[in-house]
Amino acid sequence: MSDPKVPIPELGDLVVQTGGDTLYKCMQCGLCVASCPWRLVEGEISEEFNVRKVQHMAQLGVEGYESDNVLFACTTCGLCKVRCPRTSNVIDNQRILRAMIAEAGSVPPVYRGVIASLRDNGNPWQGEREERMNWTAEIDVPKFDEDTEYLLYVCCTSCYDQRCTEIAQALVSVLKKAGVSFGIIGEEESCCGESIRKIGAEDTFQTLAAKNIELFNDRGVKKIITTSPHCLFTLRHEYAELGAEYDVVHYTQFLATLIEEGKIKIDKDLGKKVIFHDPCYLGRHNEVYEAPRQVLDAMPGIERVEMTRFEVESICCGGGGGRIWTETDPGARFGDIRIRDAMAKEADVVATACPYCTIMLDASNITEGKEDLAIKDIVEILDQLI
Amino acid sequence: MNTSSHSSVLVVGGGMAGVTAAVESAELGREVFLLEKTPSLGGRVSGMRHYFPKLCPPYCGLEINYRRIKENPRITTLTSAEVTHIEGTAGDYKVTVKIAPRFVKENLCDPITPFAELDATVKDPFNYGMCNKKAVQVPHELAFPYAPVVDPTALNDATTKAAIESLPGVDLKQEPKEMTLKVGSIIWATGWAPYDAGKVSYLKYDQYPDVIANVEMERLAATNGPTGGKLVRPSDGRETKRVAFVQCAGSRDDNHLPYCSAVCCMASLKQATYVREAYEDAEVWVFYIDIRANRYESFYRRLQDDEKIHFVKGKPGNIEQDASTGDLIVLCEDGEGGSISRVAVDLVVLATGMVPETAVNKVPFDGLTYDEFGFLVADPQKAAIFPAGCVKRPQDVAASVQDATGTSLKATRS
Repeated sequence: MSDPKVPIPELGDLVVQTGGDTLYKCMQCGLCVASCPWRLVEGEISEEFNVRKVQHMAQLGVEGYESDNVLFACTTCGLCKVRCPRTSNVIDNQRILRAMIAEAGSVPPVYRGVIASLRDNGNPWQGEREERMNWTAEIDVPKFDEDTEYLLYVCCTSCYDQRCTEIAQALVSVLKKAGVSFGIIGEEESCCGESIRKIGAEDTFQTLAAKNIELFNDRGVKKIITTSPHCLFTLRHEYAELGAEYDVVHYTQFLATLIEEGKIKIDKDLGKKVIFHDPCYLGRHNEVYEAPRQVLDAMPGIERVEMTRFEVESICCGGGGGRIWTETDPGARFGDIRIRDAMAKEADVVATACPYCTIMLDASNITEGKEDLAIKDIVEILDQLI
Repeated sequence: MNTSSHSSVLVVGGGMAGVTAAVESAELGREVFLLEKTPSLGGRVSGMRHYFPKLCPPYCGLEINYRRIKENPRITTLTSAEVTHIEGTAGDYKVTVKIAPRFVKENLCDPITPFAELDATVKDPFNYGMCNKKAVQVPHELAFPYAPVVDPTALNDATTKAAIESLPGVDLKQEPKEMTLKVGSIIWATGWAPYDAGKVSYLKYDQYPDVIANVEMERLAATNGPTGGKLVRPSDGRETKRVAFVQCAGSRDDNHLPYCSAVCCMASLKQATYVREAYEDAEVWVFYIDIRANRYESFYRRLQDDEKIHFVKGKPGNIEQDASTGDLIVLCEDGEGGSISRVAVDLVVLATGMVPETAVNKVPFDGLTYDEFGFLVADPQKAAIFPAGCVKRPQDVAASVQDATGTSLKATRS
């Protein structure tokens, strides 16, 4: 028997006041628990993490968040949120609870280094700020100035993670070939703050957002292309709440338009079977389902197939909500499910459009996949064909 | 009231509410026109195996009412008939009615034998497409009028059309008819349609044939249904000894039907009795948010005492088929204990809710009020057009009868 819990009735109200305003809409039907991707894997987290209970504890003002598995297991994939019969914003409610824990000083240790890196260098990957543009060393990337139409906002992951720098480089190559007026600002850019806000580090997020907004406004940024759907979410929705007014698109949306307008000519043949993995933040969080498929379908010689669960039903790679920086035991990795699905469909390439997905699926491909199954960002595939 | 006004009442919709409204209005002394879109009266009720809570067959209520119609010269029944236009004001409505041809000669002495040899079949809408019916037949054994009709979908194929045309009693030259009725008031009782369970994607209605809707379960259990009342799986005929009922399959869901459909809890509890009666060792799971048995709590309590009926408080989030056993695995959290249950069953019945017919097919008269879900709102200040039954709000058969009776009072006094 655990100790009897003394309710703090103010807790729920505090969640509501600080942004979790749909907390009390939850009627405890448990659809979130039955929808959660943790049900698809086994292990300690799967047994311990119960999103309905988290909401119920908050509603009742009961504590019990000692284990990191209770509050920090959620990848914020958003499947429960889109299915919720009461349209309770489960993701926001959890984010606020995490923020309360963070304020009380008990952020899980794994995130402390991430927060420090963001504070000191404006990125979560322990890289020096001066190294932010190292990915451009071998290529010529235009600088954003007052005559540039689009800011290309490159996710920290594509700046610092060796594998993901290739995605940014491929995108630059495609945009140049299409004659787009775009540019980067450079070292002064900071992380958008999406994932760190989800962990509950609200102050860190606010600082990053303020810095970016000031920088963008100062340089006259009006239109932004993002490489990551996470940046898309934050710049489009969360920065807007802070008063910023940018026209933000994910690069897949931008490329789909360029292809439609005939500004990208794809002349080479792919000749491969490609399966698309919908990133949660492109799909459920931003409702972009068509654009990545349009880009893929424009490639000559592509045989495109769908995962067993796709679009709004897509299964998370496991990297959202800060989990990109945590270790998940073998057997409990969502990415494994996607790789096994891709293999069952006999795909040659798993295409995706998010650096987190690329990292997580790459990791799962090592253990679950086979040598000739490739994990590629859509723009990497496209760049090779034009 | 205007002295030149008409006293007759038009009732649109020949289901339980419409039939009740028609006989009640006629017995109050008014001339009544009863219109039904399909070739038979009876509506969704005639497709039930049992009413709750008494668990008697629908013959009871329907046959009494059909006798009341037959015995009352004030009622004119028009089937295969639709209202296409209404104009006028309270007391003086001019209603345009279009009547589709039955393509069968009227008053055949024998409505069965002339068509017995016909091989051609079409999907049977009375059985929700779970089986086929003859292209020419009496719609179902409870049909009123008890008369055959040619299913027009069968005429799309030239060979079938020729075969049908050669039958004695068939007359494909019949044309649609149009007529005008002058009435003083109108009762709109066009009923409801089941919510499309396929829209609740994770319940896999469109994927697995053994995930069925509650209306289909009624047909499966009905002695005049596709299996003669034997409870077996649509996919492979296996006996359904383990059945899961998933409540609120669309209802009380902001993404689907935000309202409670009022009847689905009792419908599932009733259907649980079908399963328990069919097989001695049958086991039933009811997955629910909360059971709304309304006036029938004792019925619910009786089922709670049955150790083979398990009530699980939670909404299932996924249904998968086990490839080796063919079982359907229902994934749900048991909200009372917090454990995750994966229940293997033969059949899943989705308690799909009610969509008012007026959500899709509005009354062809401007200025009426509908609520945000398409239910027709009574507004006597605007028109003497009164909703009755499920077109007004989701309700069970008994409530519909009461509602239609009350509505006929309003319609005969306006």
